[in-house]
Amino acid sequence: MSAASSTYDGAEASGHAHDEHDHHDLPFWKKYIFSTDHKIIGLQYGFTALVFLALGFFLMMVMRWSIAYPDRAVPLLADLPWFQSWLDADGKVTGELYNMFGAMHGTIMIFLGIVPLAFGAFGNYVTPLQIGAPDMAFPRVNMASFWSYFIGGVLMFTSFFLPSGSAKAGWTNYSPLATTTDLGFAHQFWTGQTQWLFAMVFLITSSLLGAVNFITTIINLRAKGMTWMRMPFFVWAMLVTGFLLLLAFPPLEVAAVMQLMDRLAGTSFFVPSGLNIGGQVFDASGGGSPLLYQHLFWFLGHPEVYVLILPAFAIVAEIIPCNTRRPLWGYKTMVYAAMVLGFLSFIVWAHHMYLTGMGTSISTFFQTTTVLISVPSVILITSLLISLWGGSIRFNTPMLFATAFIPMFGIGGLTGLPLAFNNLVLHLHDTYYVIGHFHYVVAPGTVFALFAGIYHWFPKHTGRMMSEKLGQWHFWPSLIFMNGVFMPMFAQGMAGFHRRAFDGGVAYENVANQLFVSGDSFFGKFFNFVFHRAAGQDVLMIDLNLVMSASAFLLAISQVPFIINLFLSITKGKKVNSDNPWHATTLEWSTPTPPPHGNFLTEPVSYRGPYEYSVPGAADDYSPQFEPGDDGDAEAPAETEPEKTETHA
Amino acid sequence: MATLTPEELAHHKKAYTAVGIALGVLTIVTVLLGYFHPFDFGVPGLDWVDITIGLVIACIKSSMVALIFMHLNHERGLIYKILLFTFCFFLGLMVLILFAWSNPIHEAFEAVRSSLS
Amino acid sequence: MEIPYEVTARRDTGLYNAKIGVWLFLASEVMLFGGLFSGYIFLRVGTQPGIDNPWPLGASVQMVLAGFINTLVLIASSVFVVFAWVALKERKWNVFRNWMLGVIACAAIFMGIKAYEYTSKLTKHHDVKLADNSILGGTILKDEDGVRTDRIRFDAESVTVDFAGGIPGFDSYIADEDKEDLEFKTEEGETVKLGDLDSWFMGHRRAALRGLAEMRKKQRAGTWDDQKDTPPKMKEKLTASFRINANPRKIASRDETKLNFHDRTIVEGKLVGDTITMELHSINLQMVPLADQDSVMAWKLIHESTGSDHVKDNYMAVREEKLDRVKSYFKDGVIPIKTLQGPMINFHNIHEHPHGHGGHGAEEAVQAHPGDHGSEEEGAAEGHEAHGGGGGEHEDVVIEIPRDQTLFVTNHGPRAGTYYAIYFTLTGLHGLHVVGGALVLAYFLLFGKKMFLRNPEHLANRVEVGGLFWHFVDLVWIFLFPIMYLM
Repeated sequence: MSAASSTYDGAEASGHAHDEHDHHDLPFWKKYIFSTDHKIIGLQYGFTALVFLALGFFLMMVMRWSIAYPDRAVPLLADLPWFQSWLDADGKVTGELYNMFGAMHGTIMIFLGIVPLAFGAFGNYVTPLQIGAPDMAFPRVNMASFWSYFIGGVLMFTSFFLPSGSAKAGWTNYSPLATTTDLGFAHQFWTGQTQWLFAMVFLITSSLLGAVNFITTIINLRAKGMTWMRMPFFVWAMLVTGFLLLLAFPPLEVAAVMQLMDRLAGTSFFVPSGLNIGGQVFDASGGGSPLLYQHLFWFLGHPEVYVLILPAFAIVAEIIPCNTRRPLWGYKTMVYAAMVLGFLSFIVWAHHMYLTGMGTSISTFFQTTTVLISVPSVILITSLLISLWGGSIRFNTPMLFATAFIPMFGIGGLTGLPLAFNNLVLHLHDTYYVIGHFHYVVAPGTVFALFAGIYHWFPKHTGRMMSEKLGQWHFWPSLIFMNGVFMPMFAQGMAGFHRRAFDGGVAYENVANQLFVSGDSFFGKFFNFVFHRAAGQDVLMIDLNLVMSASAFLLAISQVPFIINLFLSITKGKKVNSDNPWHATTLEWSTPTPPPHGNFLTEPVSYRGPYEYSVPGAADDYSPQFEPGDDGDAEAPAETEPEKTETHA
Repeated sequence: MATLTPEELAHHKKAYTAVGIALGVLTIVTVLLGYFHPFDFGVPGLDWVDITIGLVIACIKSSMVALIFMHLNHERGLIYKILLFTFCFFLGLMVLILFAWSNPIHEAFEAVRSSLS
Repeated sequence: MEIPYEVTARRDTGLYNAKIGVWLFLASEVMLFGGLFSGYIFLRVGTQPGIDNPWPLGASVQMVLAGFINTLVLIASSVFVVFAWVALKERKWNVFRNWMLGVIACAAIFMGIKAYEYTSKLTKHHDVKLADNSILGGTILKDEDGVRTDRIRFDAESVTVDFAGGIPGFDSYIADEDKEDLEFKTEEGETVKLGDLDSWFMGHRRAALRGLAEMRKKQRAGTWDDQKDTPPKMKEKLTASFRINANPRKIASRDETKLNFHDRTIVEGKLVGDTITMELHSINLQMVPLADQDSVMAWKLIHESTGSDHVKDNYMAVREEKLDRVKSYFKDGVIPIKTLQGPMINFHNIHEHPHGHGGHGAEEAVQAHPGDHGSEEEGAAEGHEAHGGGGGEHEDVVIEIPRDQTLFVTNHGPRAGTYYAIYFTLTGLHGLHVVGGALVLAYFLLFGKKMFLRNPEHLANRVEVGGLFWHFVDLVWIFLFPIMYLM
């Protein structure tokens, strides 16, 4: 414990007197339910998102059951009356249920799980603290943003229990399938497909409100001395993410409104002429273009990928310097790379659409930009990797997850390169290869970073550490089984397995029965032993479904230590002995624990850059932003910033 | 725009009135253009001349609204940067999706095929 | 706790929070309307002549005058907003109030005119596309009971509902005046009131699904006994006699005794009327090649209804005249395919006659044609500029169209084609923005006095921010008007 930081430790005791007035007089529902405090809203986002992540995981397990055991009744669901319409007489999952759960798994994981957790929860909690702001610029807009998200989530969830079931046209909801699905129901408003669109409008509104709030806060509410290039990378990433959400979501809103019109008002935005459904010409004027939907959808869809990944980079970039006790390598480069990444992400969207039959010019353009965008991505990941070099690394749980993020995202990113070329996409489109690729980016990538973030910032709010032992029990099985789920997908995908086969591809014998490895190999023997098969039996491509599904169920079990850890540590965790238990440098660690309403006791000032670890000549191996010092790098902050610093916006 | 002197405000008012009148006049011009198609000289297929002129007028009108009414003419650089990015992506969305109708390789292929048959 | 820079600007950025916020919001609005406009361009460019439903020329189907007035109204309101803001800067509440009232009045006028335009399109103008893609434009008339003839009129005796589906929707088309008292008899002799039908259905649906779950569970366990156990009842036949005027979009198939709804409900009884009566205004043969135009189904239908070939002869004569005129514009007399298939040649107002002079194409003024007898449907016949023609009396042509000869029947609502779809979506969303903006400004007007007294600069900032949104709404309309109404 350094002498300098101990002054901040002392602040905790006297901390709460100051804001007694603001905070403690509020009734419970105003303090915790309809709160305007960014930290409470962040926690609300976090817990809601974790619940949705669990729900999305459950949907995936039902799907994986159907893939691994297409001929067996699905446990649990088979006895529920409400789902009988979509199960067949033997209690097996039907294609319709698979489609329903598949569509909702994607929707829930992305729009209700990862983005709210990464941007809504971490962004909300950490950003104002790191720039030294008392709260978000528009606290009530912030509250509206959460409740809009909550309503959207409730609508999505309840749509499972409508007579039509939930949306079932894939998470992308391509028209005209999404336009015509469930059109038979008399009360069109109460069909899952329509509810999906309504829920999306709420979720989009939530994101837009959030984005406006974040950007305004970062631009206008930075503390004294917090110049642009002293902002932690986390804040930069949130700024770029905010712009992505702000500008990419409206076209999806347009697409949702148009599809809503197609469903409810009978328009033909996405209905081509002469569309034939079940032998009948579809009763609409025609003349629309399904391609238009895909353009509008993917104009959001691709920036959305970076909305998923940038906060993950942001979290990892905070944790790695803190635990290597070295500055972040190439901070400025990373900032510029994130900006270039944000910009390019708007002009790569059509690489999702190579097989739509759109023109060759557009394919060529988008292949070029797609290859280009790998440059800033590689800069980011390389900087993080080099940051590890020569550090005396503390391998605590957040650091384990953060380090694992690098190779996991690396696999996800590198397997994406072949998908940039349309000739390869001819073979790989909609196969498990694609599924493996983007799940590596999002599941062991972003989700690991989010776990790291939870372990890292948990002591800030609770004043207690999470258990290291349970953390290790969470991390190692998760790492193994994540790879167990997703690694075989590359093999299956290249063998030609289609992502939407609810029986796992067993019906396509020429694809399913390709040899993976012979039964005499080490893996073959191991496989036959684990799954109780006759010795010497060859492992076919279709058999990999067993590996993946078993891994998925074991992955679910590996999350149990985390859940126990999360709730137990709130009351039983080891108490922190200072406000800055990790000896980190950024401003959030200068606040009392937990930060009161209004965050800072004294006006926060930033004296230096965000990652000043192991500064030569400094008394300690870290020089926090909030401490005035004589280590040469610190300069007295100007009253306000000079005009020129704006140019980085 | 924080503090404005009375003279500045009076100046503003004059500018606002002038812009309002100009907008009205340009609207009338647009309607006449759309109704009588003067610049296609009665030739079918030359409508694009009128369309272009109509859109140019719309652009002039909208920039007047943005610059004068929305005070962009003396706004800070930050706003311009935000709008510049937005405009880039807006153009990208507009123009790039139209590329979908351009297919030179296919057209060349078709040309060769039709010349063979 | 106070958020900094709520009223005063931060020195280095030069902006207060709300201003950054609203500009960011407007940036996202640019992308929202940008998406819609690019949708407009994409759909318009992508429309294939002869295959897709043709795009009409804006000026030929819109009330240009109404759009023009609305443009002026919005421009005026924009001017009013800036004057209201200046009044606040001068700290004059009463002046501010008057300008703001003007803005809100403008918003109300704008929405009123919009509502008038919408109503006219939705109720007075219809298109019927026949099986050979010829399109008849006009007004669908009501039958002697006052029911629009594009409805399927049916005397029902029983209804079979399916518990595997959703809540049946046939009940919203029951035409009986005393339908509140209507009672259905189930197979067990139970009676269900019409008002209780939905909850009755959901109750039975739940029971059926529970039974199904139970049955399957037993079957899987091998304890199901075909003799003892009864499978759940998945369908129920309800008897009652009533009249139904069904929306044809909800019907999957029908014959003389049966209507099969898309929602799996089957209504049995007797078909009463299934023929559309239409007062004909225009004929659009853009989707029929020129060579086939003298043998389209439309001519036969008109002949059967009116006993004369007058309309056809007239169309052919006008077409020849147009072709001759257009041909002279092009070198070698070869008309480009786009023009040949365009509305200029193929769209025909039936009251348009040869030897017309001046103008060209669909929007040309139509000569008055004195009719022999007065119109019985005078009200329905009045259209807007382009459809109605140049005024004066003319002979009504009323035709009967059997439904099985039609491909697509619609009013000029959003369904009518991609042009109408984008028109209604764009103007509808724009209208929502007008309403939203007016509500915000009205809030400043009604509840701003207190803030004005406390901190007038804060209110001025808010009005500036609200005004920025209002100008943006105006700005969108500046583009919307020419592309929707004129081009």
